[in-house]
Amino acid sequence: MHIAEGFLPPLHAVAWGVASAPFVVHGARALTREVKANPESTLLLGASGAFTFVLSALKIPSVTGSCSHPTGTGLGAILFRPPVMTVLGTITLLFQALLLAHGGLTTLGANAFSMAIAGPWAGYGVYRLLKQFDVPLMVTVFFGAFFADLVTYCVTSVQLALAFPDPSSGFPGALAKFGGIFAVTQIPLAVSEGLLTVLVMRLLMQSSKSDLVRLGVAKLTGGAARTEAAR
Amino acid sequence: MLPIDVAAHGSRWRHRHPLEKALLGLGLTVTAVALPPWPGGPLVAAATLAVLLGPAGVAGRQLWRAFRIPLGFCVTGALPLLFAVGGPAGPVSLAPDGPRHAAELLLRTSAASLGVLLFAFTTPVSDVLPRLVRAGVPAPVVDVALVMYRIGFLLLDSVAQVRRAQAARLGHTGRAALWRSLAGLAATSFVRAFDRAARLQEGLAGRGYDGALRVLVPGATLSWRFLAASAALLGALVTVTLTLEGLYL
Repeated sequence: MHIAEGFLPPLHAVAWGVASAPFVVHGARALTREVKANPESTLLLGASGAFTFVLSALKIPSVTGSCSHPTGTGLGAILFRPPVMTVLGTITLLFQALLLAHGGLTTLGANAFSMAIAGPWAGYGVYRLLKQFDVPLMVTVFFGAFFADLVTYCVTSVQLALAFPDPSSGFPGALAKFGGIFAVTQIPLAVSEGLLTVLVMRLLMQSSKSDLVRLGVAKLTGGAARTEAAR
Repeated sequence: MLPIDVAAHGSRWRHRHPLEKALLGLGLTVTAVALPPWPGGPLVAAATLAVLLGPAGVAGRQLWRAFRIPLGFCVTGALPLLFAVGGPAGPVSLAPDGPRHAAELLLRTSAASLGVLLFAFTTPVSDVLPRLVRAGVPAPVVDVALVMYRIGFLLLDSVAQVRRAQAARLGHTGRAALWRSLAGLAATSFVRAFDRAARLQEGLAGRGYDGALRVLVPGATLSWRFLAASAALLGALVTVTLTLEGLYL
């Protein structure tokens, strides 16, 4: 899923870097505002980023019998909102490139665009849309994570197809080629990530509901809500 | 800690200024990407390997363990270039220039990956992050990255321990058990990350935390000889590549 170091031609690497820059700058400004308003957020955001980094290191079983790892972008966007997730995701990609030799620095812009921008925004958009129709939380979480994962791979396919057009059929053929290869493994993986995210959210609702309420994902119910309203 | 970062902390070039190593390592990466893959790729890869195994003192086995990961991705990624979709030859056929394109891609990615590994194997991330503020990255973003870096390692250790405990309790025996264990693992990471953040916050508040995480940055002076040698190496690689390309291609 990460485009490897040196995989993209120089012009494409620069173009994706330029395309990602406004989103990263916007996210960095949002994060800076948040930290200046609430200095203690630095630690919370750092913990959130570390969680995203660790989540992307978990191996999940794939339908094909092999293993892969979740992108974590859907859950991250639902919990921390897409602009912040863009910054956390970009830092995570930087750490992965330097500490795990996974991804790259010249492809950081392209990887950030697919994994830290397009995926989180798409997943969060679906999550918010379903929430407006009063769909149960776990269903919205499943589709949020599913689409974040799927859109990440679709954008990666587009990036690769633009860089390596098919000799016979050009961009459409290359898109079908890369998309087809990804579809075999990534549609089952997107379903797996959606299911895993639902299981994680269920456990979090039991063990860390106060954190989820603080993040705006869950609402207080019953006695806790009445106590909060009385305050 | 992760193996590359451990190696970077013990590197022979650990105390060199990160900018020197960035110019050399990332310069080699950019050169590999920008130059024609043949003969640029092999030349840059050979020069980078010579620096890695020679003056930088990186162990060959460690380097191979780190390098085989991007290499595997590159080989997998190059395979689709061997095939063409549609056209007169049928729905899927061998691309006429496929092997050449795939080989060029492999040369370019291998050489570029080695350049990044040169930087990563000699420069701990903890030396780079605090200096990013001087490069114009907002201080709060750098602070968040520093916390991510510190908590990330603790969380990875904690995840490994929980995984071992789950395996010992037969949590990995069936597919259903594996899914339950994975979900538990991710949720535990979340809870522990937030718990650590809360405890860190309390500790820092007791020490008069005002929103800025001040860390000691190891002092290092720029060596102009090193910078000049790096620039000469990069210049030589560009010149030799373009000359060879002009002569033989």
